[in-house]
Amino acid sequence: MPRARAFDPFSGRGRRSVAAILCTFALSSALSVGLSIWSTSGSRHQAAVVQVAARQRTLAERYIEEVLIARQGDSADPAVIAQKLRRSADALLDGGVAPAIDGDDDATRLTRARGSVVRRQLEQARRLVADLTATGSALLRGEPVTAVRPTAHERLPDQPLQRLRVLTALTSNVSLNAARTIAGADDRNIDHLISLQAGLGIGGLLMSLLLAWALIRATRRQTAHFRSLVTSSTDLVLVFGRDGCRYASASVSRTTGRPAKELLADGIFAVFPEDDQPSIRAASIHGEPRELVARVSDGSGGWRQLETHVSDLRGDRHVRGIVFNARDITERLELEEQLTRQAFHDDLTDLPNRALFRDRLDHALTRAKRSGELLSVLLIDLDGFKQVNDSLGHDAGDKLIQEVGRRFAGSVRTSDTVARLGGDEYAILLEEADGRRAVHTGDRLLAVLREPVSIAGRELVLSASIGIVTVSGGSATGEEVIRDADIAMYAAKEGGRGRHEVFHDEMARELGELLGIEHELRLALERGELSLHYQPMVELASARAAVVGIEALLRWQSPTRGNVPPGRFIAVAERTGLIVDLGEFVLREACTQAAAWRRELLLKELPVTWVNVSAKQLVAGFNQRVVEILAAAGLSPDCLGIEITESAIVESGINGVRARAELEALHRIGVLIAIDDFGTGFSSLGQLRQFPIDVIKVDRSFVQGAETDSKDATITSNLISLAHALDIVAVAEGIESNAQLDALRGFGCDQAQGFLFAHPAPADEVGKLLVRSSIEPDETAAVA
Amino acid sequence: MPVDTGFVRGVSMLAWIALAAVLMGGATACASSRSTDRGHEMVVRVKERDFRIRVRPTRFEAGKVRFVIENAGPVDHEMIIVRKRRNAIPLRADELTVDEEALDPTVATLEPAGPGSTREVRLNLPKGSYEIFCNMAGHYLGGMRAFFVVT
Repeated sequence: MPRARAFDPFSGRGRRSVAAILCTFALSSALSVGLSIWSTSGSRHQAAVVQVAARQRTLAERYIEEVLIARQGDSADPAVIAQKLRRSADALLDGGVAPAIDGDDDATRLTRARGSVVRRQLEQARRLVADLTATGSALLRGEPVTAVRPTAHERLPDQPLQRLRVLTALTSNVSLNAARTIAGADDRNIDHLISLQAGLGIGGLLMSLLLAWALIRATRRQTAHFRSLVTSSTDLVLVFGRDGCRYASASVSRTTGRPAKELLADGIFAVFPEDDQPSIRAASIHGEPRELVARVSDGSGGWRQLETHVSDLRGDRHVRGIVFNARDITERLELEEQLTRQAFHDDLTDLPNRALFRDRLDHALTRAKRSGELLSVLLIDLDGFKQVNDSLGHDAGDKLIQEVGRRFAGSVRTSDTVARLGGDEYAILLEEADGRRAVHTGDRLLAVLREPVSIAGRELVLSASIGIVTVSGGSATGEEVIRDADIAMYAAKEGGRGRHEVFHDEMARELGELLGIEHELRLALERGELSLHYQPMVELASARAAVVGIEALLRWQSPTRGNVPPGRFIAVAERTGLIVDLGEFVLREACTQAAAWRRELLLKELPVTWVNVSAKQLVAGFNQRVVEILAAAGLSPDCLGIEITESAIVESGINGVRARAELEALHRIGVLIAIDDFGTGFSSLGQLRQFPIDVIKVDRSFVQGAETDSKDATITSNLISLAHALDIVAVAEGIESNAQLDALRGFGCDQAQGFLFAHPAPADEVGKLLVRSSIEPDETAAVA
Repeated sequence: MPVDTGFVRGVSMLAWIALAAVLMGGATACASSRSTDRGHEMVVRVKERDFRIRVRPTRFEAGKVRFVIENAGPVDHEMIIVRKRRNAIPLRADELTVDEEALDPTVATLEPAGPGSTREVRLNLPKGSYEIFCNMAGHYLGGMRAFFVVT
């Protein structure tokens, strides 16, 4: 159901309604005034008729007197009176000028009589006048009055004088009767007019009341509308007059916790801090400044920040005051502050973040440029933090980061900046600090880290790699300083961790080379610049050296660097973690190739394909990945061997445990495990015994010295004996001469690998060896 | 005669009453046209005009009489009924109007009524001769008198 629209005098429709009401009112007023004028003129006419009718009576009586006087022979002029009587009678009936009597009165102008009754009465009066004057004339002429024939239907006495008197009485009676009839009709008209005017007046009054009521209602509604808008608004409104605050919106009470009456007059100033009161008072008097941020008490000991707009509305007759429109921006300011803090501080440690550190470093460099002082930056990376995170969880890692931050902050001056750049990387800016002080600080940092930290019920001893840069102002940009510190830190890590290194230019060059290799190596993997070469391993027990294994070796043919030796890029790959991708590439390629050999060369027995695996690859899920690759290649697990370094299995901590678990899982399904470069690392003999190792590969440094150096010969011989004691196959690496071959055969070594038998070669060349299944030792080839 | 608004209003009111009486009495009149003597009430019609009075009937039996007085105009007329005297009716000093006080008691008196009005008056008239006249200035001597006999 449509709702009735409320009357709104301020809308277009409302204005039209008001105009219509006013027009009706004006029309009724005009009508009322018109009727009044008309009735007044009617009354004037009525008065004139009454006057003339009364005059007829006088004239008729005077006429008799004149006739009687004339009859007695005295001077009289009844004819003049008779004429006036007739003219008056005519004027009463048909309008015109009724003559005056003896100049006492003015002639009276009459309008034509209206209404049939009145006219009949006036006609009768005129007939009576005619009868009267005719009778008078007959009397004056001496003729019998009975000869005059009455025209007004009267039956008159015969006696002349009585006849005249009766006619006079009738004339005046009928004239006055007509005047009375006119007056009665006018009275009725006036009664009707009074009723009409009363109706119009009452109607007009009702209309006025209706209009006033509608206007009051609409005004109230609008006032209430705006009042509720103001009272429900969160904006604060204050109006100041000459005597202080004249109006305070409900929101002011809400914000300040004070009742409205306390806020009026001078009371409002109490909500502002004393220091601000003079400026607020000035603004409330002069309307300046137009914008201000004011603090007000929130009534419970806190302060709210108000962004205030001051309007001078003293010239506005609706306001006549200075108006403060204020908005509570406390939350906004707090949020801004919080966001600013978040933007420049690290959430975890509440230390400055990288952005703020850079900003302070830039400023420090600018200051140093002016003062000529030195400044130092220390870049710190925690050693082994990843292991803590992996083994104890991220919460423990976070606590460690916080603790380290606290220790660092406590180890420097308050004017120095300790920042967390991200992860386990911190930076410290030492202003006015030369290299000596920077190194001293580095030592102190390492010392505080060595104090055990209790995290997740474990006592941890930390170390860090620290890069130190000391620069003079103007010699470098902030970016360069951080980059140099990073290089020095990298060098410290390379240098064995738990130490600091001071940056020097040579470091940058070395690192540049490394970084270049890393970058290109990533591209190489994508561009297919990597390939595998294979080197056979042969059986030494039999006279003809049967091929029993093939080691897959990675080769990089770089378009810019040429053939890059593995020694240059494998270390980089290890350091950057790229080794994981490379390792998988090798594993996949080797398995695919082995399967291809068996398929294409129709080999009855496929030699074991050996693949080098980095410790970094030995993470959870590695054994499943190997199984998938074997399945994809269609290769049996016992055709695959994995070569690992000693350090991979002797590593302590969770990583060592996980690596061993992965290898054991692989060993269970038949994959062979070999320890590469045996004798150069830190093998624990106990682990050798417990660990499922099938093969040890005696490092080439022992093998190649076996024929000349008795110590190497002894070590090699004992390593082989040790292997045999543990039921492990011993493989000699790097055999290059028949003498070495003889010596190893003498030690009882099981298998051998080296240039004496074959150089690493592409798959198709190795395929040919596999078809022959044995290799003749060839010293000349080995030398080549 | 001076103009009197109250008088005019009174006349107007009487006129309305008369109109109502006419409307109410119309039916009666229609009925009585068949028999003027209904329930022992005699109806006597008095017609006044300038300047004479006509009474119908002029002779009727004593008893209840309803006089219906019509002013045929054009001017106002009153109606007074008195017993007929052996001598002439006494006049006032102006020698124009009947001295009503000398006639007291009158049989009936009706105040002036405007032209077109019809009024009624119920009387219980004993036997005798009666005179009916209008006593407005000059009307009696101007011819407005008539007689009727109650037998």
